[in-house]
Amino acid sequence: MSVPYYPVNDFGPLMHGMIIGGLGILHVFVAQFAIGGGMLLCYFQWLAQTGRLPVARHFLDSYFKALILIGFVIGAVTGVAMWFTTIQISPRTIGMMVDEFHWVWATEWTFFCLEVVAGYAFYRCGSRLSDAARMTLLVLYTFAAWMSLFWINGILSWQLTPGGWTQSQGVWSGFFNPSFFPSLLFRTVVSITIAGLAACVVINTMTPLERAARAALIHHAARPLQFMAAMPILGVWFLWVIPPDSRSWVLGGSAVMTIFMGLAVGASLMIGLYATVGLLRQKLYINGATATLLTALALGATAGGEFVREGVRKPFTIRHELFSNSIRAEEVAALRFAGSVTADPYPLRDAAEYANDQVRLGAKVFRFQCAVCHTLDGMNGLLHLSGSWTTQQKRLNIAKLQYTKACMPPFSGNAVELEALVQLLEWTSADRPASWTLSSDPKTLKEIDAWLDEAGPHPRVRARANEAPVRGN
Amino acid sequence: MDAVFPFGLSGPTIGYLVLYLFTLVIHVVFMNYVLAGSAYLAVSSIRKEIAGVGKGDESQTSRALCDWMPFALSAAITAGVAPLLFVQILYKRPFYTANLLLFHRWMSILPVLIIGFFLLYLLKARNLSMWPRGIRVLVGVGPFLCIAYTGYAWTENHVLSLREAEWPAFYAAGNMWFQAMELLPRFLLWAFGAIPTMCLLVVWQLRFLERRGQAVSVGDYARLARIALASLVCAAVCAVWYFAARTEGTSQSATASVYRPYAVLFGFGLILETWGWITIAGRGDTRPLSRWVITVGLMASIVGATVLRESIRIAAVDISAMRQLHEKAASVGGLPVFLGFFVINAVLIAWCFRIVRRGVKAPV
Repeated sequence: MSVPYYPVNDFGPLMHGMIIGGLGILHVFVAQFAIGGGMLLCYFQWLAQTGRLPVARHFLDSYFKALILIGFVIGAVTGVAMWFTTIQISPRTIGMMVDEFHWVWATEWTFFCLEVVAGYAFYRCGSRLSDAARMTLLVLYTFAAWMSLFWINGILSWQLTPGGWTQSQGVWSGFFNPSFFPSLLFRTVVSITIAGLAACVVINTMTPLERAARAALIHHAARPLQFMAAMPILGVWFLWVIPPDSRSWVLGGSAVMTIFMGLAVGASLMIGLYATVGLLRQKLYINGATATLLTALALGATAGGEFVREGVRKPFTIRHELFSNSIRAEEVAALRFAGSVTADPYPLRDAAEYANDQVRLGAKVFRFQCAVCHTLDGMNGLLHLSGSWTTQQKRLNIAKLQYTKACMPPFSGNAVELEALVQLLEWTSADRPASWTLSSDPKTLKEIDAWLDEAGPHPRVRARANEAPVRGN
Repeated sequence: MDAVFPFGLSGPTIGYLVLYLFTLVIHVVFMNYVLAGSAYLAVSSIRKEIAGVGKGDESQTSRALCDWMPFALSAAITAGVAPLLFVQILYKRPFYTANLLLFHRWMSILPVLIIGFFLLYLLKARNLSMWPRGIRVLVGVGPFLCIAYTGYAWTENHVLSLREAEWPAFYAAGNMWFQAMELLPRFLLWAFGAIPTMCLLVVWQLRFLERRGQAVSVGDYARLARIALASLVCAAVCAVWYFAARTEGTSQSATASVYRPYAVLFGFGLILETWGWITIAGRGDTRPLSRWVITVGLMASIVGATVLRESIRIAAVDISAMRQLHEKAASVGGLPVFLGFFVINAVLIAWCFRIVRRGVKAPV
């Protein structure tokens, strides 16, 4: 069994996950705006061509311009950027996703092409086309945009709930996994919400337009926000189908997850209440500043939701297949035997700064097994997390890592590597002195070996009835 | 492997290679248009500033490029998604490793592309000529700089991905730039090679405008032909420079017998293109025969060049060793769904064009 080794970049005090998180949130928000925007435009085109709201025609062109400038430019580039960023964070994860779902991705690409052509056709020629032709282009654009969500949603939800794929390895049993539909419907509602709020911003920038006309446009743009009423049901459905351990972290098991979940729910609730009471019932006028604030709140909700979606997968990036640190479940035992970094061809960039070879080995182990989620002494730093532990406690807790915290993968190296990692932590907390005594007591290594054997190579997450049995549980 | 490329390879490898090359050729056409078109606009804007000519005096070529450049960049990015997908299946480890090794520089192409994208929209602004001179120059030259930077980064990434032996040392050094003798000539070969594609596409655009009743000066066609011919000469010089700077394996793979039909195709395409451009440059107008000869020649040379480019990579990474990975990837389901939607969406795209052609009441 050969483990592919990739060079690991150091982002200083920042976690790797923050890089993909920041870009991912921006991309998801913009992409969902593009999807919901298409739906809203179809609605406004219908209002315009049936004479229900003549001023809607004016709005269509302004809104589509925003959609093109934001959706096509930032959406397209950040979409490609998501691939590049995922490669930076976990090449094995994206590699496995591509291997399993490349035909799904290729299918999604055909919809991208349709989306771009229909969108630009409307952008360039829409003002000179008949209503029927305009509607056709908008429907094609919207259909293509939503289908891109359909395809990517199947891949992303598979990471958390691979469902029948764990047994059959069939692409469609993985694609139509347990969280596919709640996730798809939830994201569709979010798309509509973002589009409605962004429309309120755009309407306030349109000139020349009287206040009455603006108010009429705003009240129509706010109507789709009614779909937000489905969010609690879809949210509960999603929580119901995700693995019990993931659910427990959101529902109080992990303070950070619960807080982020609370922020996402709270922000959505505020938007929903404002839309229902203010915009739909009392027909209040919303100015540009308030609309922008609500859109920013929606961005905050998206950020919280995406953080939770990424976080609840731990200790996996692909459930039961690949741990967060890109080590496959079945590779752990072999790496414990041979050593996790024995075959790593990449040297340390700052090798001369370490006190001895043992600490250097510890740094390589940290880089290979921990660096994807942790820093040494920055964000989510190991020194902070293990700062109050004694040396012996460090050995025990790392050897039995999956017992120390269920969201952690098992330690995948041998006793020598584990002791090297512990010495790296000790040396770093001692302010990295120039010389450091080697720790090579055979009794200590034997003790670590025993703990590693006791812990076993399997994670400690609970499995659902329809999931593959978690080995070792 | 003695059979003509790609027949000496395993079935799954052939399948992915053909898909990769097919989608890459589509991407290359748009990419060439964007790279060369933005260069044309950059030169044009500098010349305008020097001559002090107002926006209204610009050529039809500039107007057509300016008008379509944002869409072309969008199309280039969208078309680039498919080869980016297949390259990950074919050359996973080298591609990912080069991405990681060039991290800062590699990721910087994303904000750079966004800036370039928005500058292309600004270039279309009606009141651009009223802006301060410095801003005008920035808007005129900026898109080219952004797109050229992206192109250079891709070249750097590609060349680094072929040099596995250098990866650990490059990582240890923490360098941001990868330097190799062949980088600059390789990039320039691509850049000059991109220009004839842009010239041909603009010729078709201008003919389309003429058919819709717009006046196009004969000088526009002649200028495009001269530019195309000059760039072919420059590309040939860069090709010689590139092969002089390349590693030994590079020339061996590109001239190997299994790739000879593609070398012939490439050469044949160049001859057709050159003949067509000379005809246009001489007469100053475009007869259908010249346009079609250039089109056929250009497609032949792009396909030939793309396969020859791949031959260098295949020799460097030993694609036969990846056979098992390709076979495993090919065993997953979904191909019929892709093919089905490929056809359906191609029809829907054609329908979009039909809607626009039939529905537009005034010239586009």
